[in-house]
Amino acid sequence: MSENPKLQKWAELASKQMKGKSVDSLDWMTPEGIKVKALYTAEDLEGLENINTMPGMAPYTRGPMTTMYAGRPWTIRQYAGFSTAKESNAFYHKALAAGQKGLSVAFDLATHRGYDSDHPRVAGDIGKAGVAIDSVEDMKILFDGIPLNEMSVSMTMNGAVIPILAGYIVAAEEQGVSHDQLSGTIQNDILKEYLTRNTYIYPPGPSMRIISDIMAFCSKNMPKYNTISISGYHMMEAGANSVLQTAFTLADGVEYVRAALKSGMDVDTFAPRLSFFFGIGMNFFMDIAMLRAARFLWHRLMSEFKPKNPKSSMLRTHCQTSGWSLTEQDPYNNVIRTTLEAMSAVLGGTQSLHTNSFDEAIGLPTDFSARIARNTQIIIQEESQVCHVIDPLGGSYYIESLTNSIVEEAQKIIDEIAGLGGMAKAIESGMPKMRVEESAARKQARIDQGLDVIVGVNKYKLADEKIDFEVREVPATVRDEQIARIKEIKASRDQATVKKALDDLTNAAKNGGNLLEAALPAVRARATVGEISDAMEAVFGRFVATTRCISGAYSSEFKANDDTITAIKERTNKFLEKQGRRPRLLVTKMGQDGHDRGFKVIASAYADLGFDVDISPMFQTPEEAAKMAIENDVHVVGASSLAAGHKSLIPALIKELKKIGGEDILVVAGGVIPPADYDFLFEAGVKAVFGPGTPIPVSADKTLSLLEEKYR
Amino acid sequence: MLKSPHEYVDGVLNRDRLMLARTITLIESTLPAHQELARTIVDLLLPHTGKGFRIGITGVPGAGKSTYIESFGNMLTELGHRVAVLAIDPSSSRSGGSILGDKTRMERLAVNANAFIRPSPSSGTLGGVGRKTRETMLVCEAAGYDVVIIETVGVGQSETTVASMVDFFLVLMIAGAGDELQGIKKGVLEVADAIVINKADGDNILRAEIARKEYQTALHMLMPNSPNWSPPVLTCSSLEHTGIGKIWETILDHRKKLSDSGEMSKKRKHQALDWMAFLLEDGLRQWFYSDPQVKAALPGLRAEVENEKTSPTAAADTLLRFLQVNNR
Ligand SMILES: Nc1nc2c(ncn2[C@@H]2O[C@H](COP(=O)(O)OP(=O)(O)OP(=O)(O)O)[C@@H](O)[C@H]2O)c(=O)[nH]1
Ligand SMILES: [Mg+2]
Repeated sequence: MSENPKLQKWAELASKQMKGKSVDSLDWMTPEGIKVKALYTAEDLEGLENINTMPGMAPYTRGPMTTMYAGRPWTIRQYAGFSTAKESNAFYHKALAAGQKGLSVAFDLATHRGYDSDHPRVAGDIGKAGVAIDSVEDMKILFDGIPLNEMSVSMTMNGAVIPILAGYIVAAEEQGVSHDQLSGTIQNDILKEYLTRNTYIYPPGPSMRIISDIMAFCSKNMPKYNTISISGYHMMEAGANSVLQTAFTLADGVEYVRAALKSGMDVDTFAPRLSFFFGIGMNFFMDIAMLRAARFLWHRLMSEFKPKNPKSSMLRTHCQTSGWSLTEQDPYNNVIRTTLEAMSAVLGGTQSLHTNSFDEAIGLPTDFSARIARNTQIIIQEESQVCHVIDPLGGSYYIESLTNSIVEEAQKIIDEIAGLGGMAKAIESGMPKMRVEESAARKQARIDQGLDVIVGVNKYKLADEKIDFEVREVPATVRDEQIARIKEIKASRDQATVKKALDDLTNAAKNGGNLLEAALPAVRARATVGEISDAMEAVFGRFVATTRCISGAYSSEFKANDDTITAIKERTNKFLEKQGRRPRLLVTKMGQDGHDRGFKVIASAYADLGFDVDISPMFQTPEEAAKMAIENDVHVVGASSLAAGHKSLIPALIKELKKIGGEDILVVAGGVIPPADYDFLFEAGVKAVFGPGTPIPVSADKTLSLLEEKYR
Repeated sequence: MLKSPHEYVDGVLNRDRLMLARTITLIESTLPAHQELARTIVDLLLPHTGKGFRIGITGVPGAGKSTYIESFGNMLTELGHRVAVLAIDPSSSRSGGSILGDKTRMERLAVNANAFIRPSPSSGTLGGVGRKTRETMLVCEAAGYDVVIIETVGVGQSETTVASMVDFFLVLMIAGAGDELQGIKKGVLEVADAIVINKADGDNILRAEIARKEYQTALHMLMPNSPNWSPPVLTCSSLEHTGIGKIWETILDHRKKLSDSGEMSKKRKHQALDWMAFLLEDGLRQWFYSDPQVKAALPGLRAEVENEKTSPTAAADTLLRFLQVNNR
């Protein structure tokens, strides 16, 4: 208890108001395990390292720039891309005319994984979650009318970084722009792909080499270009809380620094070009503090490498509001969520920001929803007057104390990772993945119990959901268009030059040499993204993920005898008694979408509820998923879809099951599926569709009812 | 939805994946009707079994069993074999449900037309791994899989059961963790036909080699349980596919040595006797626990023993006497 008489007096008064309960009863334990009190005072600031600092000066808690938004506001950088290069290009032009400042390109999953659009594995993914790019010809269309010497371009690419970055460079060359004029960022953060998003191609070793090669090439030839964007965003989206996001992201950063140093570079040649990417969720103050803590910690971590350039230990970051926090139910609420998250990013001092469109839990952004999303930032920037003061929350008892708590908690995890031998080794051990998944399962359990409120999902639900806005669909013709263009390019190029360039690239992969540099001639000769990826795959191989699933985390968040949970367990036990085995469910993810959070949470929660759950490898084709369903003899297949592939992949699965005799296996679907598509899926034979935000007990209840009816 | 035994038998013999899978489900079922049907099917299939290779693989969680089987199995199908994999998954939460994730580490083998992989939850099954796995193995053989691989985690009793039903029992280890750390019991090493140090790649090669020598020395201290075979210690990398071919050669060599000396047929006969003993014990246990009087009295007696109202001996006597009385 404090010695402060005023504080004691307050505690007494407060306790009286609460009919004798102590003020401690108001404490809140955050998901990060940080105890938050009802009141903070000057006492809480005593001895904190992160206070009394200046913006633009080490340790940068208050911001990397001296004048922050008072000098120049953050960059409004909206991530976009879909369908063909031509469609995306038109979308970019509109956005730039309406006040957007930088470009940020989203690629489709086939491109991410280094497959051309004509590859049979990716039929369901072309142009869906981003733009389809097969060669430099597509790249040129993508940037048509956009002067690459002026426009800063950010590209979310990790797996196929070599062909894509080389494609961008060659597209610029052909616009007459030299390498040193290029500015922007490539995500190029492969470690987090193994951790959460799974859009890698090669194993970790060669992937780390690719990153070092890119850093080396760019530090020499593209001094204005950010060679990596170390991303926590996807960890947050996968369920990581803010401490985990901070710790794992910074630990990734340290690993890249080590890799670059090991390849012989001097820390000051590349460290100033490292940038970060954080995800901002609905815990308003927490994520403000998170950005401040991350800057403080990065400075601390980088000091170990003794940089001479202060910029080497200065954390600059892009932020994005959480896609996961958006709901399919009552979707206009998402505008408000995004606004709050954007405020949090701004008060935390981000350098650039993407605000999500309110319809992202339903479909791809439309011109309308993209405008609202963009205007969310413009209004904060130009109407709310928040930009005048640097780090306006600096010195706030609560914010500073919270900043310190995040620093302390994250440092513990970073130390733990160091003990495992660094982040690459830690990822190999599975530790970070397990932590993220555990955090995700616990969160889901809190939501399913209504402890974490989500308006329109577990509270204040609408009786009647209806969609009164346009939903964007990617036409099925995109794939055909892409295939036609690939054919055209392959027919018109000089095969001998292409072959030689690809052989040289394979050689560089085998015997050393800068891979980005080696890829440029191949791109100039019109080799495709797939061919360039294959040329390296010939040496590196393709990485296969290990899927591990935790059990117990979901149910442990529930009270010991929560009624809904107990009831479902009883029913699975009943099923076992009657059928001789537990209800057996195969959860599968078809297509190239690697977001495995939903799929993992479902697997572990359903196992906790008494199902036997088979999990399929990632990136399945419908034929492969059907074979597995038959072989494991499951009662039901749950197909998870987040990347708009559901209309082709799920009906294909049902057809395939019929073909091989599994017509009595039920198929249910879950994920980001527009309600307008439900009927289409029902007609195709899907028995139930669970949209985003469906509590697991609800989907489990429905699935069990279907099974109980079938196996009476 | 049950079919006649002959439909299952024909399906299995015709190598129909669906019918094979459904037969295994019957074998694994806890319902007496299913088990009876399964027994009939297995009996009818018995003449079509016994010609292939039966390989057991054990090792602690994370030793790389599944990854090894991915590499090994794909190699075997390339050599023209048909491979069945039975993965016994011990993971189960309090509720009894399991997460069966083995195929995620056997990505290529899972889609290989000449492979059949069946992960099975081991939780809550009466008689445990023994009965079901053995019968499943036989059914797979009848379906034309000439190599059957059984993956089991080496931390329980299941691995010795598995060792007693296969021709070749392989223990997968990783370097840098002592025996205790690996949770491998001495008994497991005693039944091993080979020890393989996995993950011999990258900066681990040297450590794997050191571990190989250590295990080799340790094995020399044990009495070999066959006069014709002294278990070798090998290294491999399942990720980089090195050393995998050598292991298959070792298995072939083992088969040749044991066949030539007549030990193989002795081993199988011995296993048949073990199997009978197992079935007897299992049957007795089931018979006992399904006795209506036992069922009725058991919970009460357990409570009395717990509360120290009755002694364990007296309680057990009471229960056993039911069987004597009922069968006089
Ligand atoms: N470096 C290296 N890693 C390997 C090798 N074999 C397996 N691994 C890795 O070890 C981890 C565990 O492999 P699994 O095949 O799942 O191990 P397991 O013994 O089947 O594990 P359980 O089924 O959980 O008992 C995975 O991350 C594999 O990628 C190898 O030869 N070398
Ligand atoms: Mg395994």
